[in-house]
Amino acid sequence: MFIQCKNISCSYNNKENPVFNDITFELQGPGFHGLFGESGAGKSTLAKVMSGLIVPDNGIIVNPLGHSQVVYTTNQERLPGWQTIQMHYESVLPKHTRENWQHMIHLFGIEHCMHSKFEQLSLGQKNRVNLIRYLLQDQPVLIMDESLANVDENMREKIILFIKKQFPEKLFVYISHHVREICKFCDQIVVIRSIGRYPRIIQLRGQNICMNKDLDPDTLKENMLEIVHAA
Amino acid sequence: MLHNRIIQFFILYGIGLTMLFAIKYTMGLSDYVIPTIVDIIYTAKRIMPVYIWAVIESMMIAMMGHILSIVLASVIGVLSRINSFLGTFIKAGAYQIQSYPVVAIAPIIFLLMGDGIWPRLLITSMICYFPLLLTFVGVFTEPVSDIEQFYNITNTLTWDLKIKIRAYEHQKKILTVIEGSATLAMVGTIVAEFISAESGIGYQISIAMSQSDMSKVLIALFLIGLAISIYLTVLAWGLWTKISHDSQ
Repeated sequence: MFIQCKNISCSYNNKENPVFNDITFELQGPGFHGLFGESGAGKSTLAKVMSGLIVPDNGIIVNPLGHSQVVYTTNQERLPGWQTIQMHYESVLPKHTRENWQHMIHLFGIEHCMHSKFEQLSLGQKNRVNLIRYLLQDQPVLIMDESLANVDENMREKIILFIKKQFPEKLFVYISHHVREICKFCDQIVVIRSIGRYPRIIQLRGQNICMNKDLDPDTLKENMLEIVHAA
Repeated sequence: MLHNRIIQFFILYGIGLTMLFAIKYTMGLSDYVIPTIVDIIYTAKRIMPVYIWAVIESMMIAMMGHILSIVLASVIGVLSRINSFLGTFIKAGAYQIQSYPVVAIAPIIFLLMGDGIWPRLLITSMICYFPLLLTFVGVFTEPVSDIEQFYNITNTLTWDLKIKIRAYEHQKKILTVIEGSATLAMVGTIVAEFISAESGIGYQISIAMSQSDMSKVLIALFLIGLAISIYLTVLAWGLWTKISHDSQ
């Protein structure tokens, strides 16, 4: 399993000022990978290109699974307003996943939200509710664009560790502004550098911490500095 | 809300009458041109039963025409969702049709269909459907990306779910235009009756005009205003109660 971006260029309306130009990188194998960069660097645009939601001006995405197998989710999504969370899960998630999502709502700390409507939830709760329905889809690649924004740090870590343990066969691309989190949990890290800095892409390795793996604080610190300098 | 609308109507009607009497007495117009308040009350006593019945008849046609317009606009709005070309085509077509004054087309309708409920219903619908159609076409062709994305990705976005999402998300817009077009429905009915029908309050106004009887016109206007105020109040109450119920 891999996703390869070859010479991708992308612009909105104005082709003279592309969001990024001639980007090439590859994410190999299942695992928890990161996409990092400053605001406006083009992370979301790149993620949408990778999932086929945006057609790039130039370049190709090589993905043996096909675009339909790459799912993109963002923290901007909403659920239909006429359904409670419980009703929504029952209507969109396959019956055989019921046990899974019931376990996940406890773990993600949203069991008390099930009879509420989406608009009544806090931002962090909304993001967790949205993420569960995507995690239970069959597609092997999931791009999570700030999917855990507004969730407190302990819960974010708990969720990421759970995802890594529960879905080892899937490829995750995690977009976040938290350098520590990216360094700590991601395996391959793609850093999109700010406009004007070349090369636009730098690929690094993260600590890829899992449930039973210890973290060396010094290595993490070095890793974080490396990413911050790269961006 | 009921009191607000009806009180507003009474205030406006009172202001209108006061202005009329101000014109009458400053310009020294005769009672034949602008009748006295006593004349108006006397005429009201005489013709009120006939006019009340005529207003009820017109109101019924206005309501039916309004419902017909909502149904037509919904169907065309849903059809226009099929693709963006059809949506644009229907929108452009609606503008084209609307650029012809319905009053000018109305005689053709009466010539072809004669008097009766159908031509009045058709003219009423033609006058009030335009804002409804534009809103419905706009609403049903505008994706709600942040909700639809999940269904698109999971390949479960059926056409009826798409309509449901879009209608729900824009329900305030839809209900506002339904409320707004109710007035146009009554205008359409009166225009149709005024042009060529043989019953209804518009027809009574045309007779009063031919008799140069302003008392009758003022009484007709009073009843029309009152009927519209009540209709709008009931409609708004029903629609907004539904919204607040849904959002709970």
